[in-house]
Amino acid sequence: MEQTSRQRTGRILLIVGRIVLAGIFLAAAIGKLKPLAGMPWTVASVKTSLAMFAMGVDSFQILPAWAVSPLAHFLPFFEIVLAIWLLSGVGLRISSLLSTLAICVFIYAMFSAWHRGLAINCGCFGQGGAPIGLWDLTRDAVLFLPLSLAILIGSILVSRKKHAESTATVGAQHTVA
Amino acid sequence: MNSEPDFRKDAVNPIGHRGWKRMLYGAAALAFFAVATLHAAPQASHVAHKAPPTKAAISISDPVKTYGTKGAPITLELFTDYECPICRSFYENTLRSLINDYVAAGKVYIIHHDYPLSMHPYSGQAARWADAAATVGEFGAAEGALYDNQNKWTANGNIAPFIAQAMPHSDFEKVAAIMKDCTTAAPQVTTSNVDPLAKSGHSCPVDPFIAKDIEIGYKYNVNATPTYIVYHNGQKIAQGSSYVSWPIFRQFLDSILSQ
Repeated sequence: MEQTSRQRTGRILLIVGRIVLAGIFLAAAIGKLKPLAGMPWTVASVKTSLAMFAMGVDSFQILPAWAVSPLAHFLPFFEIVLAIWLLSGVGLRISSLLSTLAICVFIYAMFSAWHRGLAINCGCFGQGGAPIGLWDLTRDAVLFLPLSLAILIGSILVSRKKHAESTATVGAQHTVA
Repeated sequence: MNSEPDFRKDAVNPIGHRGWKRMLYGAAALAFFAVATLHAAPQASHVAHKAPPTKAAISISDPVKTYGTKGAPITLELFTDYECPICRSFYENTLRSLINDYVAAGKVYIIHHDYPLSMHPYSGQAARWADAAATVGEFGAAEGALYDNQNKWTANGNIAPFIAQAMPHSDFEKVAAIMKDCTTAAPQVTTSNVDPLAKSGHSCPVDPFIAKDIEIGYKYNVNATPTYIVYHNGQKIAQGSSYVSWPIFRQFLDSILSQ
C-alpha cells in the first residue's frame, strides 16, 4: 500500500517535472522566434528574429561561421519538438536524455563564454538581458540540469518497473496456462 | 530789482571757472580709478587661484562620427572602445565590409559613439584623437588607423604618428592643434552616477563630445564593447554586443531590409 502511494507520488512528480521542463523549452523557443520590437508575427519577422539569434550564437565564438546559421535556425524548432515530446510522455527516456544533453551543451557554451571574459547575453530566452554571469550558469546547472536528470532517472525507473510488471504478468499467464 | 544771482559774474572770472572744471575732472578721474581698481582686484585674485588657465576657448566644429546618409532604412548606433581587441576584430572583419557595401549603397547609416572603458589606459586618449579628427572630417581615416595599429599604440600610448599617417598634413596640423591641450586624464566609462568629465577637467575641447557619448551609453545600459543598437525606419528593434562576423551580420541586415 505504502509502495503504491510512493509510486503514485513519484509518477505525479514526474508529470509535473515534464510539464515544467517542457514549459522551459517552449519559453526558450518562443523567446527566440518572437518578432523584434514593432514587428508583427509574420514569416519574414520570424526570419529576422532567427537572424538576430544567429548573431547571438555567433557572438559565443565557438562554432565555425558555416555552422552558426544552420544551428540558429534549427535550435528553436528542436526546443519546440522536445517540449511536445516531453509533454506526450512517449519515449520519455529518449526525450529526457536529449533534454539533459541539450542543457549540458548550453552550460558548456555559457561557461566557455564567461571563462573567456566575453560580455555577451546568453540569448537563452531571446535577445536582451544582462551579460552571462553566475546567475545564468547557476540557473542551468542547479535548476534545469537536475530537473532534466530527475526526469531521465524517473523515466528509467518507471520503464524498469513496467518491464518487471509485464514480465511478471507474462510469467503468471504462462503458469496459469 | 532782480534778486536772481548773476552767473555771468563768474563767467567773467576766468580763474574761478577753470578751478571748478579742474575739480570736476579730478573727481571724475578719482572715481573712475577707484571703480576700476575695485572691479579689477577680485578678477585678478580669481585668475590667480585658477591654475592652469583654461584654453578650451579654442573653437571647433562638432565632430562628425557617422557613416552614410540619415535617410537610410537601417540605422546602427555603435558603442566601441579603440583599445578593445574584439572591437578591432569587429571593425576589421565586419564594419569595413558594412561601410564599403551597405553604407555606400545607402542601406545603412552608422552613428559612432565613443565608449572608452576604464580597463584600457589609452582608450580615452584614442577617442580624443578620433574626435579631433572628426572635427576636420577625417573620422573614418582616424578610426581605421587606430584599429589597424592597435597593437602598436597600445604598447606606449603614442597615438599621434598613426593619426598623422592617416590624413593630409594640413588636416593633421588642425587635429594636433586641438589635441595640444588634451594632456589631462581622458574621459572614461566608470559608473553612471559619476560625471565622465570628473577627472579630465575642461581643457580638452573634444572631451564634452566623448562624455556625451558615454552618457548615451549609460542611458542604453551598454555594458560591453562593441555594442550595436539597430533601428529600422526610426524604431529601435534590437540591441546586441560582442563580435559578429560579416556573413551573419549581413544576413540579419538583409532580413530587415526584406521586411
